[in-house]
Amino acid sequence: MQRKIVIEPVTRVEGHGKVTIHLDAEGKVRESFFHIVEFRGFERFIQGHPYWEVPTLVQRLCGICPVSHHLAASKAVDMLSGLRPEDLSPTASKVRRLLHYSQTLQSHALHFFYLAAPDLLFGLDAPPEKRNVVGVALEHKDLARKGILLRKFGQEVIRILAGKRIHGVCAVPGGVYKAMTDAETRRLLTGDSQLPSMDTVIDWAQETVDFIRDYHTRHAAWLDTFASYPSGHLSLVSADTGALELYHGRLRAIDADGNLRLDNVPDTDYRKHFLEAVQSWTFLKFPYLKDFGPENGWSRVGPLARLNTCTHLTTPLAEAARQAYVGFHGQQVNHHTMHYHWARLIEMLHCAEVMRDLLSDPDITGNDLLREGSRQPEGIGVVEAPRGTLIHHYQADEKGQVTQCNLIVSTTHNNEPMNRAVQWVAERVLSGKKELTEGMLNQVEVAIRAYDPCLSCATHAVGQMPLAVKLLDHQGNVLDERIKS
Amino acid sequence: MNGSNPERTLLLAIGNSGRKDDGLGWAFGEALERTGLFRGTVRYRYQLQVEDAALVSTFDHVIFVDACREPLANGFEWRPQPPAPVFHFTTHALPPGAVLFLCQSLYEHLPKAHCLLVEGRAWELATGLTPPAREHLDRALRFFLALVQPGQATS
Repeated sequence: MQRKIVIEPVTRVEGHGKVTIHLDAEGKVRESFFHIVEFRGFERFIQGHPYWEVPTLVQRLCGICPVSHHLAASKAVDMLSGLRPEDLSPTASKVRRLLHYSQTLQSHALHFFYLAAPDLLFGLDAPPEKRNVVGVALEHKDLARKGILLRKFGQEVIRILAGKRIHGVCAVPGGVYKAMTDAETRRLLTGDSQLPSMDTVIDWAQETVDFIRDYHTRHAAWLDTFASYPSGHLSLVSADTGALELYHGRLRAIDADGNLRLDNVPDTDYRKHFLEAVQSWTFLKFPYLKDFGPENGWSRVGPLARLNTCTHLTTPLAEAARQAYVGFHGQQVNHHTMHYHWARLIEMLHCAEVMRDLLSDPDITGNDLLREGSRQPEGIGVVEAPRGTLIHHYQADEKGQVTQCNLIVSTTHNNEPMNRAVQWVAERVLSGKKELTEGMLNQVEVAIRAYDPCLSCATHAVGQMPLAVKLLDHQGNVLDERIKS
Repeated sequence: MNGSNPERTLLLAIGNSGRKDDGLGWAFGEALERTGLFRGTVRYRYQLQVEDAALVSTFDHVIFVDACREPLANGFEWRPQPPAPVFHFTTHALPPGAVLFLCQSLYEHLPKAHCLLVEGRAWELATGLTPPAREHLDRALRFFLALVQPGQATS
């Protein structure tokens, strides 16, 4: 008899998803799917709006990474205004960069301390009531307190620059609304009774990297195998040096052996290289490099991919951490899904170091905020969001109304990779088992969670989004199910 | 409410003004601030999150104001809010009791806490409150102002 496992919703991710695993009569896994079942709408209802409203509107895609959408859209709107990124003033560019690295810092802190840490600290088979941030808070108070303040620090920079921690506005066509003031930079650099200093943030980020490195030493057998599989990797890198670059760079993609598939590609040329496939069982598309086809052209994005594609990091502590990380896995390309967590924390340290440099830069308090250009019909903006490569593309008519919008978000790139990870767990953990335990089903979620997916971004969803595993027989009968809302 | 140390009172207005009556929490906070009678701190949240435990730990009294889908006598309800280790699976959002529980666990401080729930009727994507929700908001505000400034509440 065939059976099907359904996990619905998948927990500790942002958004609403569902996993179904189909078993054959012997209980072996036949196939598995990670479905995203939310309504996809932003690309459509943005049409007709004035282009200059776009950076404010599209950040409503998400409450976790609105800054990424705000900045990708702003870069596209700059282009619609006839401005390239290098045309912006140093102050405007650095303010945007500070905003972006602060957002990545707080997003990475949120994911590690609130969402991933319970699995790492308590194990896959721990009781579900313990595998959450409260469990972390009760048993690892110091870690929890630092996690809260790391996130708070990033959010505070966002609040200062954008007016609000969530859905504020900083960038405008051709620049930014405001720069930092001397008092604001001084407070962030030195801290106060409510906020750690920038140096303390760097110290804590370093401690967290040390924690995951030591954790890896004790759990290498698991971290180096769980949901690991070869794949291509994609990200922006610095145009000049190939270094890790989150705000503006060139596209680079490698195959599973590290051979270049794309290199030094201007982000505005993405259409020459990417297509998106669709499947009837999910609203989430499947982007791929068209020269390699949908079967082989998909890539992983996000922290793991970025540390695979870049040549180095530009800050000393994070670069030292990257070298230690590369030394541990000892391969040209790291395919270990669970190393996403390690890579994410190295990036968090890098972000903190970059933030300190920017806060110490006199340009950050400058008053040259805006530049003007000549209207163009099309704009494309690409950033490395916390979860990976984020592409915004708009066209506007002569009245300035948006006529076309295409968004390829990080989680969309990771659609095929997450399905591969689910398949890995299904085949190696669930297949052939007569009885499925909660801990076994949780491993499906652990594999997905490593990608830190944002399903609301990926589908540009509207509405509330609980996330959902189902076990179904060959006749479609549900044999086991987890539903959480 | 504006007792011996009103600066140590925090009102957390919770909701989403883009979803009709889900905006009741924010509408309450804004209306209260307009009166100028509340001397505590008002903060606005779409959802309560873990870091709000750190904020709450710096106050002696915390009031959570949110819209409620259930029918309430008089259209609103004022009740003590105890700490509670209750966590939902929607990753980032926490209920008030969980924020208090985290505050107590992490910062060894438990402020006095109340919830003010205001009954709403409609939750679709649109701005503006329904007429019943406005009425409930007015009643809740009058009740609260009587607590804040006995004898100065508007009728």
